[in-house]
Amino acid sequence: MITAQGLRKRYGDTVAVDDLTFEVKPGLVTGFLGPNGAGKSTTMRLMLGLDYGEGETQFDGRRFRDIHDPMNEIGAVLEARAFHPTRTARNHLRMLAAANRIPNSRVDEVLDLVGLSDVKAKKPKGFSLGMSQRLGLAQALLGDPQTLILDEPANGLDPHGIHWLRDVLKSLAAKGRTVFVSSHLLSEMQLMADELVVIGRGKMIFNGSVDQFVEQFTKSDVLVKTPSADAFAETLQASGAEVAVQDDGSLLVSGLETAAVGEIAHRDGILLHELATHRASLEQAFMSATGSTEQFIAHEVAEVLGEAPAPTTEDKETA
Amino acid sequence: MSDALRFEWARIRTIRSTYWLFGLGVLITAIIAGILAYVTRNDDKTGEVGSWVLLGGGEFATFIPIFVAIMGIFATGHEYRFGTIQPTLTTLPQRSALLLSKLLVVVAVAVAMVAVSLAINLGIAAIFWGEVPDLGSEPLNQVIPGYVVYIVLNAILGVALGQLFRGVPTAIVVLLVTPLIVETLVIGLSNVPALDWLIPAVKFLPFNAGARLIATTPANEAFGPDSAQYEIFERWAAGGVFAAFIAIILAVAWFLFQKRDA
Repeated sequence: MITAQGLRKRYGDTVAVDDLTFEVKPGLVTGFLGPNGAGKSTTMRLMLGLDYGEGETQFDGRRFRDIHDPMNEIGAVLEARAFHPTRTARNHLRMLAAANRIPNSRVDEVLDLVGLSDVKAKKPKGFSLGMSQRLGLAQALLGDPQTLILDEPANGLDPHGIHWLRDVLKSLAAKGRTVFVSSHLLSEMQLMADELVVIGRGKMIFNGSVDQFVEQFTKSDVLVKTPSADAFAETLQASGAEVAVQDDGSLLVSGLETAAVGEIAHRDGILLHELATHRASLEQAFMSATGSTEQFIAHEVAEVLGEAPAPTTEDKETA
Repeated sequence: MSDALRFEWARIRTIRSTYWLFGLGVLITAIIAGILAYVTRNDDKTGEVGSWVLLGGGEFATFIPIFVAIMGIFATGHEYRFGTIQPTLTTLPQRSALLLSKLLVVVAVAVAMVAVSLAINLGIAAIFWGEVPDLGSEPLNQVIPGYVVYIVLNAILGVALGQLFRGVPTAIVVLLVTPLIVETLVIGLSNVPALDWLIPAVKFLPFNAGARLIATTPANEAFGPDSAQYEIFERWAAGGVFAAFIAIILAVAWFLFQKRDA
């Protein structure tokens, strides 16, 4: 169990992390989300004592710096390419293992686990980002720790690598380990994470389950496919629902539960081809939750290129 | 502490620069020692001549001191240059133990380097002279321990500079520019009558003071016939000036390492 209490970090007048308090529970994968510059990496650095600030983080009741041989309890990787370019992958891990009384045989085990056995004697200066991430994960797993803290571990991994990473982290969590992982790959996080900590401009936006997050920051719609779309749309609107007609003729209904829509259809004898709850994605919820806290806002391509926006259907009709 | 020492020993053994700095330092010193032993083969084997050969250049034996300083700079500076300070501190969060282990291991390698170099140069002297220098004669009996102390201090200086500047390039520039340009400039300017107030400061120039540890000439002849006006310290007092300078740099670097974000 990780308990972060009142984490706060200032750089001059800028508050990078603002009074963050949260828990990361064992047995679950907890995702750490936030826009660029939200303070995710700084928070992780504060938790691990790499940066100094206010507040305290405890790992099963102890601060990181008070833990003897921490690799055996906490595996942490915050930077994918944090290695000497001419020290071989195996020697890099052996060096870290030596500091925590981990046998060299374990080094070969984790290199094999992450698929780097064939390049263990190679210098990592030629490693791709994906290979560097694998070496980082091998480093985190070196002491077979109870807790993992990983900053953007999926960056640079190919689809197979991402799938493999998800399986590894989920299986570790299933064994009761505590996994705290940040990522910008929201679709991946939706598949991997059980709980979320979402921050924006250093402040807590949400701490809870993925389902709660999506529910809180988006509205669920009901998708209806029926040959009597026009008539049924009128009926639903009369019942207080908002109805949007999709390009394929289906109806997207908001303001009514799926069961209620089904009951109305049954009552009015409307034939339904499809009735489904249309849930928003984590990405939609993330955009909704963090939109106002985005620090680095990009411009539209047309604006950057100095082009007029593409004409809308309405413009064409007017012309 | 033992964990930190194991880590640092593994670190220094697994980078190539350790080997080329060690090998090149010993090799260049041996080549100079060989040349000096050959050209002095028919001279009197005084203690001064013996120190030229054993140190590979006597008072000008700068290769090993500089190479061990660079090794020290790499010990701390590489952590920041390559971002390894993050895995290092998540492996060894006790910062003082980490820095102390870096000092001890770099000093140990530096002592091994000077021991190997002296042994090789002793052999070279034996080959060209048919005899070995008398290590108990003046000034060898002072120069040899002074050489070991000088190299140990340079190793500590390197670790401190790399940690202070949190990188390699600036630390190396300071290591080379301070003695070669800054101190030479101060000594030169002190000869200008209007700037003669600099004269009392010359004996406190740290790198010049440190070089007195391996000096074979008396202190009052350090800068030629007019040297007496500088009142240069004798060997061990001058070494104390160098050590004090390094202690200040190390103390600042250590304090900042404890207080700054990694």
